[in-house]
Amino acid sequence: MNGGGNGIRGARRGAAVWAVAVYAALVALPLAAAGRLPEPVATHWSGSGGPDGSTPFWGVAAFPAGLWTVLLAGLALSTRWTGGAVRPGHAAALAAAGVLVTGAQASIVHANLDHVVWTEADGVGLDVTLVLTASLLAGLVVGLATRRTAVLASAARAGGPGDEPAGGPQLDIPAGERFAWLSRAVNRWLLLTAALSALLAAGTAVAAVAGLVGTPWPALVPLVIVSISVYLCSTVQALVTPKGLEVAFGPAGWPVRRWPVEAIASARAEQRTPAQVGGWGYRLSGLGTTVMLRRGDCLVIHPHEGADFAVSVDDAERGAALLNSLAARHTTG
Amino acid sequence: MLLKLDLTDSRPLHEQVAGAIRRAIAEGECAPGDRLPPARELSRALGVNANTVLRGLRALRDEGVLEFRRGRGVTVLAGADQRARLADQAGALLAEATRLGYSRADLVELIRRLP
Repeated sequence: MNGGGNGIRGARRGAAVWAVAVYAALVALPLAAAGRLPEPVATHWSGSGGPDGSTPFWGVAAFPAGLWTVLLAGLALSTRWTGGAVRPGHAAALAAAGVLVTGAQASIVHANLDHVVWTEADGVGLDVTLVLTASLLAGLVVGLATRRTAVLASAARAGGPGDEPAGGPQLDIPAGERFAWLSRAVNRWLLLTAALSALLAAGTAVAAVAGLVGTPWPALVPLVIVSISVYLCSTVQALVTPKGLEVAFGPAGWPVRRWPVEAIASARAEQRTPAQVGGWGYRLSGLGTTVMLRRGDCLVIHPHEGADFAVSVDDAERGAALLNSLAARHTTG
Repeated sequence: MLLKLDLTDSRPLHEQVAGAIRRAIAEGECAPGDRLPPARELSRALGVNANTVLRGLRALRDEGVLEFRRGRGVTVLAGADQRARLADQAGALLAEATRLGYSRADLVELIRRLP
């Protein structure tokens, strides 16, 4: 039986192979039929069955490949966010979406095959039904299979050694006392950046309403996104209680990311710099996830599953010590 | 900062909260002039209702340990560390006197007669 680590590695390798295979199919299908397709190619059909939209030949491969990339990125991010474990839902989505885009590509090529003009392309009614059914089935089968594997892996892990909180500092908690550790970090520059971009966004919106500029979306949307994301990373609060670790983002203390004490294998303090993790804010790097507001002291936790999580707050040594003691107490009784 | 709450303490909760913060100040967890974490966060840290935390904070303000300032939150007053330590010791003294059967007035009289 595979241990948890092997299971995750196997699942990652499987997902990577699947991702590449879908890319290959998306590009290879139109290329293989290149000589027999009209230019442009029919890529959209109306409800009554006839084609009503077209795309140049290069877009037939590029558009679904782009869609697939966005989907992969979304799934990768959400896997990281949930601690890197194998989620049956993610695997099912990956399978269903892969079948869906590949099937759609196949039916587009099929409908256009040997037509001179895109408006004469065949209907795709039957293909759509077939592709949707296949996609649903693939999702269902993979989801069920992954759930079985995930359950087995976690059962194997629960019995296995090497997961007890080892190493790292500890703190003595006298019987009958409740200890809690709080720390926060503020980056005034990030707060200022958030305020400035919010101001710019408001200005753009007002100018658009007044009719001074045309469509404001290309400027407005990035400004609003930058403003909100920088605002959320300008302040961070870490709280260690007997329940576990809570990290609250933004001056309003929301959203909050929680790590139950039983999910934490060990904790430590570490010196990190923005250069090491690729800048300020919410960073994903080889060191795992780092919420970086300033260089220096970081509280780093090593969860049982997934990558390390670090947050740059003062007095991290004692926070880590308290977490280790709480985790040790949790496992011993 | 590290907060310690004695779970065997039988005093009302708001007094325990005040005691925990007084103890944190006395142990140098937060220095005079420092801002205290918001009440909402303290309530999550101590596992106590936010109103109870506010009641404890108000008691500390009346004691001269904390200062409430609009827009600046709750800050630790200068000299609060010594004051908090003294208040802590006085509390312990009173508890000991009560245990031995002395009333509050007896204790005051005892202190008055000290050279």
